[in-house]
Formats: sequence, structure tokens, C-alpha cells
Amino acid sequence: MWSFFASVKLAIALLIIISCASILGTIIPQQEAAQTLSGRLSPGMMSFLGKLQLFDIFHSIWFVSLLVLLSVNLVVCSLNRLPASWKRVHAVFVPDDPDIFKDLPANQVILAEGTREGETARIENLLKKGFKKVVRKDTDQASFLAGEKGKYSSFGVYLIHASVLVILAGVIIGFFLGFNAYVEIAEGESANAVQIRGGKGLKKLDFTVRCDRFTIDYYEDGTPKLYQSDISFLRNDALLYKTPVIVNHPATFEGIWFYQAHYGRAPSGEAVIMLRKGREKAQVMNVRVGKEFDLPGKEGKATVIRVEANLMRMGPAVKINIAAASGNIPFWVFQNIEQIEEENPGLMDHVPMFNPGLFAPYVFSLAMVHTKYFTGLQVAKDPGVPVVVAGSLLLVVGFMTVFFYAHRRIWIRIDREGTHTRISITGKTNKDPVGFHREISRLIQEIQEAEEKRS
Amino acid sequence: MINTVILSWVTFIYLAAFVLYFIRIIRNEALWGRLATITVSLGFAAQTVALILRWVESYHMGIGHVPLSNFYESLIFFSWTIVLLYLVFEWRIKNKSLGTFVVPVAFIAMAFASLSPNINNRIQPLIPALQSNWLTSHVMTCFMGYAAFAMAFGLGCMYIIKSLDRKSSSRSGSFLGLLPDLDTIDELIYQSIALGFIFLSLGIITGSVWAHYAWGSYWSWDPKETWSLITWLVYAALLHARLVRGWRGKRIALMSLAGFACVLFTYLGVNYLPGLHTYLKT
Repeated sequence: MWSFFASVKLAIALLIIISCASILGTIIPQQEAAQTLSGRLSPGMMSFLGKLQLFDIFHSIWFVSLLVLLSVNLVVCSLNRLPASWKRVHAVFVPDDPDIFKDLPANQVILAEGTREGETARIENLLKKGFKKVVRKDTDQASFLAGEKGKYSSFGVYLIHASVLVILAGVIIGFFLGFNAYVEIAEGESANAVQIRGGKGLKKLDFTVRCDRFTIDYYEDGTPKLYQSDISFLRNDALLYKTPVIVNHPATFEGIWFYQAHYGRAPSGEAVIMLRKGREKAQVMNVRVGKEFDLPGKEGKATVIRVEANLMRMGPAVKINIAAASGNIPFWVFQNIEQIEEENPGLMDHVPMFNPGLFAPYVFSLAMVHTKYFTGLQVAKDPGVPVVVAGSLLLVVGFMTVFFYAHRRIWIRIDREGTHTRISITGKTNKDPVGFHREISRLIQEIQEAEEKRS
Repeated sequence: MINTVILSWVTFIYLAAFVLYFIRIIRNEALWGRLATITVSLGFAAQTVALILRWVESYHMGIGHVPLSNFYESLIFFSWTIVLLYLVFEWRIKNKSLGTFVVPVAFIAMAFASLSPNINNRIQPLIPALQSNWLTSHVMTCFMGYAAFAMAFGLGCMYIIKSLDRKSSSRSGSFLGLLPDLDTIDELIYQSIALGFIFLSLGIITGSVWAHYAWGSYWSWDPKETWSLITWLVYAALLHARLVRGWRGKRIALMSLAGFACVLFTYLGVNYLPGLHTYLKT
């Protein structure tokens, strides 16, 4: 079991499988968009795919299981390798390992004219420029110099793995302790509950949000320039905080974030109707919801009880109730009544409620419905965000150590070869051999240049 | 607008540079290589000037913003980062053969931007969703990543062509003999991918921060986000295969091609999927 999770093969397989699942998630319409498929697929197929959670892949049990598996794999792999890395970093750095100077290529051996002591001191200074830690050891036969740097770079990979886990932890915190909701508030109106996304019900806020004003501004060419809601936060009718909410500039109140998401126009509750009695001239009236008025002939009192911008996809309409001696007579008055009659002949006989002349001899008609802006706010709380940010920062630091630092070690032996002083140079790196090779070549060049200058 | 005129000229300069790099490989004369480098550097200088002019011009129009806000500008910037990175590479590895494989990518991006009738090259005002300080850092890091992956793609092509015929590569003076040896190409593929991976990660991080401020969620599984994650996962798999499993050579070269396909889909393909990142639609 341990060895199964400790395998990098598993990690690579999981990365590829998660990629493929994600590709599916971008091809198959997800969540609400999945409805578009119902026209093309049989109901049986739809419910089968639904059971496989293919319409909400990124929140499906099997996708989350893959992520859990990857996390376990990550932890086990790291734990498995950590002791070896630890040992490597804390290994005693031996400057005079004889094996390391065997079979060196000719260009890594320089013959110099100076004394062994003089050359060693000179090279030690050169080495100290590029390496943080330089050790020297002198024996009867030879002097040894060794330089080491970046030995902690091999821990960068653990930093990266840890950061991925921190980010996932942040995601989990957000999932359990956060919420993602929206609310639509018309100008001048308030809300104290928001709609959780995905049809998961209402969430009550322990304060009230009021939309004071919604503004749109345009550039000269008609492109939108600004969407702004001025909102106020209140509790027990006391104003606590007033702020604009602009796209890209959300407002926060008591840990909850409010974002400008969309907007629209909704009926303000005011309308203009026309009223004709028999063959008399029509009378124009401004009305509003809840306000009662007398019919011109005193046959009863009329009240507008609803104003809709688009009732049953038949356009603007108002609902009027007439309180007469015979009782209450409610009916709808559509603005586009002629068109509706044309498209649905006999509608008024079937549905008397749609007859604007239900209270004879009066005939009502609707001239216009007044509208006002409403703002659509995204409302979110995610206590996992600071954790995700911390994980991201850790990730960047991890990358820096992994990719920009290498554990480089260099060994130099200075001994006598006939009448010359022989300098042998070799090194090891855990990554970027090309860059390391360049560094060694540069060092050799520097040693040689100094040699030429002297002779 | 003068900047678009310069930019359409840059397209042809990059084409000329590609042809020169190609001639150099066929005829193996240093002169052509030097000419190619001069040409591509000139093109790069002109492109830089045009980008600055475009930036200044947007301020004269009263809608000042960095030229990274629509599909046209993103293509121009994509080719700019590719050429920038290529010039750094050429200078560092002292080998011009990569130009034959990478400069055409920059040329195609420019040609697509300049010649496609569906792409609007006018300076447009910033819509509210793009009015953010994160725009610059997000776009720059993403495109640096894309450019580094484009470099790995060019190197991957180079590796495969060279490994197809090992014998003739040993013949000095032949086309394949001019390419760096296979181990060097392999190491360069790794280095480009590591660089691209860092920038892609930074791009995803800056994008998440921006999304947190703009959309109310640092991650919403929008197709572009998802595809950037897919690209990240593919390159993460590649890096593990190489660093831990010891994969080298042809397999890594092939994976660098697959990775670049993901990059292109993240950049261009997702525009055909519905989602939040619709600013780039033509």
C-alpha cells in the first residue's frame, strides 16, 4: 500500500487522469448549462450521465476522490524521499576523496609554474568568489580545495508539494465555511437575505443591504465605461457603512464581499394607463401599486395590485382590482393586447382574467410601465482565501529554490607533477549540468588567464 | 494609426528573418545567420516602438491603457515575448538554429493579427471588467509562459528532426550537423519548460487574485481557467517524468509538443467554448 502511494508513476498517471477529466468538464456543458443537452439526448441517457455526475464534474465525488488520491500520493512520496534528502544535505563534505579525481578529461587538468602553496592560496581566493562554503585540506602529497553551494535547493520540491497541500486546504476551508450567493436589489430598496448559487436556498444576512443608486456610464463610442452601485449597510435602521461597488472594486462588510455582477431594469411600481367608459373619450392616468382611485362614474374603486415588465412572456402588464358593489373583480391589462389577441384567438373568452374590459362598460389599456434600475450583486464569503494566498506564495518560493538554485560542488586537487604544479578540477551538480559545466569552464579559464599573465 | 502600419511591416520583417535563418541552415554560411539575427532584432525593435506608440496613442485618445486588452493586442504581445525570449536564448546558447523553428511562430501570430479580417486592430476603450491593476501582471506573466513553452516547442521539433537521422547528424556541415547536440537540446527543452512553468504558475496566481476581485471567486472552473490548469498539469507530469523518472530525449520532446498544443488551446481554443473570459473573442 505504502509503495503504491509512494510511486511517482502514480503521480504522473493521476496528473494525466485529472487533466482528461478536466477536459471533459470543459466539453460537456456543466451545471445549469447541461439543460441544453436535454433536447438532443434521450431522458435515459441524460439520467445515466447525471448519475455519473458528468454534469458537475468538478464537484463530483470521483473528481474530488482523484484530488484526494493525488494529495495522499504527494504526502507519501515526499515523506518517502525526505530522509534521503536530509542525509544528502547533512553528509560530511570530504575535500580529499581520491576517487573523484580519477579519469579527468584533459581540459580539467592545468599545469602551472607556481609553488603548490602559492597556487592553492590563489585558487582558494578565486573559488571563494563563486562558492559560499570553501574548505581546504593539506596532506603530504597534495592540497585539496572544495566549494559547495545551494545545498538546501533540494528541499524546494518539498516546499512546492507542501504549498499544493496548503492551497487545497484553503479550498476545503472555503467549501465548508464559505458561501457564494447573489442578490438583486432595485434602486431604493433593501435586502437582508441572499440566494445561494446552485438553487441551494436563501441565506439570511444579519444586516440589511440597500441599493441607493445604480449608475452606468458609457464611452463616446457607446462601450460601457462604468457599472456602479451605491450601497448602504444597515442594522435596525441605523446606517453603518455606505460605499460604492464597482466592477473590480468589491466592497466588504463584516467579512462578506459584495461584487458588481450584473444589472437590469425592473418595474418601479408606477404605470400609465388609459381608461375609456363606453364611447367616451379615453382618460390618461398615472397609477402606482397600492394606490386606490375612483372610477369616473363612481361605480367602484380601482387599485393597481401588480405591475409586471413581462408577464408570461406577453410583455408589460398591470393587474387591477375593482371593488364594486358586486364584489372584487381582478383582471390583467396587457400593453400589447392587440398582438396577443391576434396570436391567441379566443384567449379572452377562455381566460376572462385577461380581458381589460371585464368590468363593463369600462375598457382599460396600458400605455407604459415605468421601470428603474436594479443591481445584481455577487455576495461571497471565503475564509479559505488567506490560506490559498499563503500557499501560492509558498509555491513561488518553492519554484525559486528548485529552478534557480542547484546543489553545486566543486573539488580541486593541487599537487606536484614533475617540475610543474598540477591542478585537477572536477565537480558535481544535482541539476542544470549545462550551466554547471559553464561555471567550471569559467573557473578553469580564470585560473589559466592568471597563469598566462604571470608567465 | 501609425502603430498598426509598423506592426504589419514587422510581420514581413519576421518572415524575412525566418527565410534568412532557413537559408543559413541550408547553405551553412555564417553571413546568413548574422543577417537573420540583425533582421529579427530590427523587427523586434520596430515592434517595441510600435507597442509604445500604441500605448501613447491610447492616452491621446483619452482612454489610456496598456496595449494588452483585446485579441489583436494579445497576438502582438505573444509574438513580442516569443522574439524577446528567442533573442535571449540565441545570445546565451550561441547557436542560431533555433531561429528556424521559433521565429515562424512569431511570424504566424503577427500575420494572424495583421491579416485576419475578423480581428479588430483599433484601440478600444477598456470595459469595466478589464479596468484592473491586475490586467498587466496577469497578461504579462501568462504570455511569458506561453512564449517559453513556444521555445520548448521549437526545441522539441528540433530534437525530433535531429533524432530522426542520427547518422547524417554526425556529418559535419550538413543541415543537422548545425543543430546543437541532442543532450544540449534536451537540457534546453527542460530549461524552457521550467521557465514556462514558473510563469504559467504566476499567470494562474495573478489571474486568481484578479478573479477574486472581479468575479467574486478565485476559481470558478471557467474553461480558460480549467485549460490553464490542464496545461499546468501536463507540464507538471512532464517535469516529474524527467526529474524523478529520468525520462530524456524523444519522449520529453514529444511531451513538449503535446504541452504546447494545450497552451494553444488555452490561448485560442477556449474562445469557442462558453465562459467568462470572453474579452478575447474576435
